Amino acid sequence: MKHSNLRNGWVGGIVNIFLILLGLTGLAGTLLQGWLGLPSPAFGVWVSLLGVVVWSAARATKASGTQSWREALAGGALSGLLSGGIVGLLVGLLATLDAGSVEIRQWLVQLTPEAIALLTFGVAPWLATLLVAGVHALAGLLGSALYFAAITYQWQASVKGVLQDAGHSISQTQVYQRIAGHPSATTFAYAAGAILLLTAPLYLGRYWNYTLGTVGLYVILGLGLNIVVGMAGQLVLGYGAFFAIGAYTVALLTAPTPHGIMMNFWLVVPIGVILAALSGVVLGLPVLRMRGDYLAIVTLGFGEIIRILLKSDALIEFTGGPRGVRAVGGPSLFGIKMNNEFYFTYFIIIGIILAAYITAQLQKSRVGRAWMAIRGDEDVAEAMGIMTLKYKLLAFAIAAGLAGLSGVLFASRNKFTGPEDFTLLVSINVLSLVIIGGMGSIPGVIMGALILKGLPEILRELSDYRMLAFGALLVLMMILRPEGMWPSTRQKMELHGDEEKAETSEHTEPARGVA
Amino acid sequence: MVETTEKRPQRRYVDIGRWVRLGMGIIVAGFALWRMWNVFFVQQEYGLDTWTRFLISGIILGSVYAVIALGYTLVYGILFMINFAHGDVMMLGAFAGYFTLEAFKGRGFLNQNAGTAALSVIAAFMVGMALSMVVALLLERIAYRPLRKAPRLVPLISAIGASLVLQNAAQLMFGAERHTYANPDIIDRSTGISFLVQGQEVLITYTGMLTLGLSLLLMVGLLLLVRKTKMGKAMRAVAQDKETAALMGINVDRIIANTFAISGILAGAAGVMWGLHMGILYHYVGFIPGLKAFTAAVLGGIGNVVGAMVGGLTLGILEAAGPAILGLPFQLKDVLAFSILVLVLIFRPTGLVGQVLADKA
Repeated sequence: MKHSNLRNGWVGGIVNIFLILLGLTGLAGTLLQGWLGLPSPAFGVWVSLLGVVVWSAARATKASGTQSWREALAGGALSGLLSGGIVGLLVGLLATLDAGSVEIRQWLVQLTPEAIALLTFGVAPWLATLLVAGVHALAGLLGSALYFAAITYQWQASVKGVLQDAGHSISQTQVYQRIAGHPSATTFAYAAGAILLLTAPLYLGRYWNYTLGTVGLYVILGLGLNIVVGMAGQLVLGYGAFFAIGAYTVALLTAPTPHGIMMNFWLVVPIGVILAALSGVVLGLPVLRMRGDYLAIVTLGFGEIIRILLKSDALIEFTGGPRGVRAVGGPSLFGIKMNNEFYFTYFIIIGIILAAYITAQLQKSRVGRAWMAIRGDEDVAEAMGIMTLKYKLLAFAIAAGLAGLSGVLFASRNKFTGPEDFTLLVSINVLSLVIIGGMGSIPGVIMGALILKGLPEILRELSDYRMLAFGALLVLMMILRPEGMWPSTRQKMELHGDEEKAETSEHTEPARGVA
Repeated sequence: MVETTEKRPQRRYVDIGRWVRLGMGIIVAGFALWRMWNVFFVQQEYGLDTWTRFLISGIILGSVYAVIALGYTLVYGILFMINFAHGDVMMLGAFAGYFTLEAFKGRGFLNQNAGTAALSVIAAFMVGMALSMVVALLLERIAYRPLRKAPRLVPLISAIGASLVLQNAAQLMFGAERHTYANPDIIDRSTGISFLVQGQEVLITYTGMLTLGLSLLLMVGLLLLVRKTKMGKAMRAVAQDKETAALMGINVDRIIANTFAISGILAGAAGVMWGLHMGILYHYVGFIPGLKAFTAAVLGGIGNVVGAMVGGLTLGILEAAGPAILGLPFQLKDVLAFSILVLVLIFRPTGLVGQVLADKA
C-alpha cells in the first residue's frame, strides 16, 4: 500500500521535472493564457504541474486498493509530498542559481528567468521549496480524494448512465430515426463526403491547398509503405529514397538545368514511377532475404547513401549537388498551365484514389493473402508453396512505385527539389503515420497522415514539440495499442487474439496455482 | 484417400538473389580494385606520413565506435533487438559530461593545476556514465520491458520512437545550437605528442591517447565481466535461453536490466570521450555515430563481444583511410560506412568473427 504511494510519488515528481525542463509547463501556461484570456501564464503552469500530481495520486490510491478514507487521503498526501519534494528541490536550486546571477538559460534553454519566477512564487529559494512541496501535497490529497469519492459513490457508473441516456434520447428523436433509417443514408453520406472533398480546393486558399496537398502526398507515401510494412510485414526505414528517386526523375527530366531535357510532364510521370519501382526491385533482390531489424537497418543505410550522394559534390554535374534543382516543370493540358497548388490538390486526390484502389484490390486478391501469410510466418508461408521472394519483391516494387508517384508530384508542385527534402525524417514520418494510423488499414493511413501532417499545421504553437510527440506516440502506441488507431480487423485479431484466448482460459480454469 | 490432386510439372526454383549478389560482388570488388590501383600506383598522392595520420585517427575513432558497438551487441545478444536509441543515450552522456566540465570551469576549478583538471575529467566521466546508465535503465523499463513478448517489429518501432523522444528532448532542453566541449587546457584538442615520419610531423593528441586507453580498459573490463564473473555467466545464460535460465534460478528481468545498465555506462563513457576528442556537441550527435557503431557491431558479428571490438576498429580505420584508399572525396566517408553495412549484411550477415545464427539475417 505504502509502496504504490511512494512509487507514484517519485514518478510524478520526475515527470514534472521533465515538464519543466522541456518547457511544456510554459507551453501550457501560454496556451491557457491565450484561450481563457488570463493575465498571466501562471495558471496554466500550475494546472499542468498539479494535474500530473492529481493523476499520479489517483493512480496510487487505485493501486493501494485501500478501503478507508483516512488511508486514501494519507497516501495521496504522501505521494503528492514526495513529488513536491523532488520538484521543490529543483525549484529551490534553480532559484538559488538564478539569484546568484548564473545564466541558466545558457545551458537549459527553456528556463528563462520569467519561467523560473513563475515556479517560485517570487519568494526566497528555501521558502519556495517548501511552498512547492506543500502545493503538491495538497494536489495529491485532492487526487486521492477524487478517486476515492469516485469509487465510493460510483461516479463512473452515473456518468456512463448520463451519457447513455443522452445518446439514447438523440437516437430516439424522429429526425435522427428518419435519417439513419433511410436505406440510402450511407450512400448519401459517402456522396456528401466526396463532394466536400472535391470542392474543397475551390474555396480553400493557397496556404490550405498547399497544406492539404502535403497531407495528400504523405497519404500516397503512407499507402505505399503500408503495403510493405502493414501487409507484407517487412520493416523498411529508407523509404524516402524512392520518394527522392521520383522527385529527382521529374526534376532532372523537366528542368532547364543541369541537363536541359525539358520533357513533357505527362511523359515523365510514368517514367518516374517505373524508375522508382525498378530501383525497388534492384534494392530488394539482394536485401529481401534479410528479416526484421536487419532489413530495417539496411534500407536505412540505403536511404542515407542516396541522400548523401545527392548532397555531395561528387554528382554535382548530374544532380545539381547541395543546391538542388530549380524550375522543375509542371503539367499543362490543352494549353492551360496547371502549375499551382490548386490543380495539384486535384492531382494528388486522384493519386490517392488510385493508390487506395490498387491497395484495396491487392489486399483482397491472392497476392494480398500471400502477403498476409508472409507477415504471419515466412517459413510457414514458404512451406505452403508461396514464393516469398517474388511476393516480397512485388510489394517492394509497388510501394516504391507509389513513393515515386508521390515524389514526382512533390517536386513538380514545389518547382524545386534538393537533397534536404529527403532526410531520414521523411522516412520516419511515413513510418509513424502508417503505424499510428493502423498497419494494413487504408482509412488508418489516411487518418495517420491527417494527424501527423495536418494537425501540426493547425496547432502552430506546438510545432517545436511535434517530433517529441511523434516519438512518444510511437512508444505509447506500441505498448497500449500496437494495431494503430484505425486498425484493419485482421491486424487486431493477430495482435490481440492470444490475449483473449489467455483471458478465457483463465476464466475456465481459475485454479491454475503457481505458474 | 481419394487421389484428386494432379501431379504438377516440377518447377526448378532459381535463386535470382544469388546471381544478383554475385554480380554485385564482382562489380563492387572490381570498382574497389580499380580505385586502389589508381591511388597506389598511378596517382601516389599521399606520402607515408599522411597514411600514418589516417591510421591514427582511424584507430581512435574506431575505439570509440567499438565501445558504442559493445552496447548494441550486449543488448542484441540478450534481447535480439536493435536498441535504436543507444546512440542517443550516448549523446545524453556526452551532455552530462559537458555540464560537469562547464560547472567546474565556471568555478575556476578546471584549470587550477593538473590535479584539478584530472579530477574534473574523472568527474565528467562519472556523471556522464551515471546519467547514461539511468537513461538506459528507464528506456528498458518504459519502452522495452512491456513489449518483451510482442512480435519483433513492435519493440523495434518502440525503439525508434524512444530515439526520437531522446533526441528531441535534448534539443528542447539544451537548445539546437552546437556546444563546444570545455577541455582542460592541458588536454586541449590541439596538443599532443608528435613524431616524425619521413621528415613530416605527425601528431597524436592527448585526447586521442586518453580515448584509446580508456576504450581498451573498458573493453578488457567488459570481457572480464562477461567471461569471469557470476553476473557475466548469468548474462550468457539468459542470452542462450531465457526460460531455462529462469528455471535455473536466474532473475531474468534483473539480468536484462543489468545489461542495459552496462550498455548505458559504456555509452556514457563513449559520449564523454567523443566530446573531449571531437569537441562539438549537439542533440543529433549521437545518431550517426550510433548507426556507425551498429555497423561496427554487425561487421564484427552482432551478439559477439570480441566481434564488436574488431568491427569497431576496422570500421574506424576504413572510415578514416577509406576515402583516400579508394580515391573518393572525403565528403563520402559516411556513404562508405553505410555501404560497408549494406555489403556486410548482404554477403556475410554473420560478420567477421560471428558464428552462424539461424533466422537472424
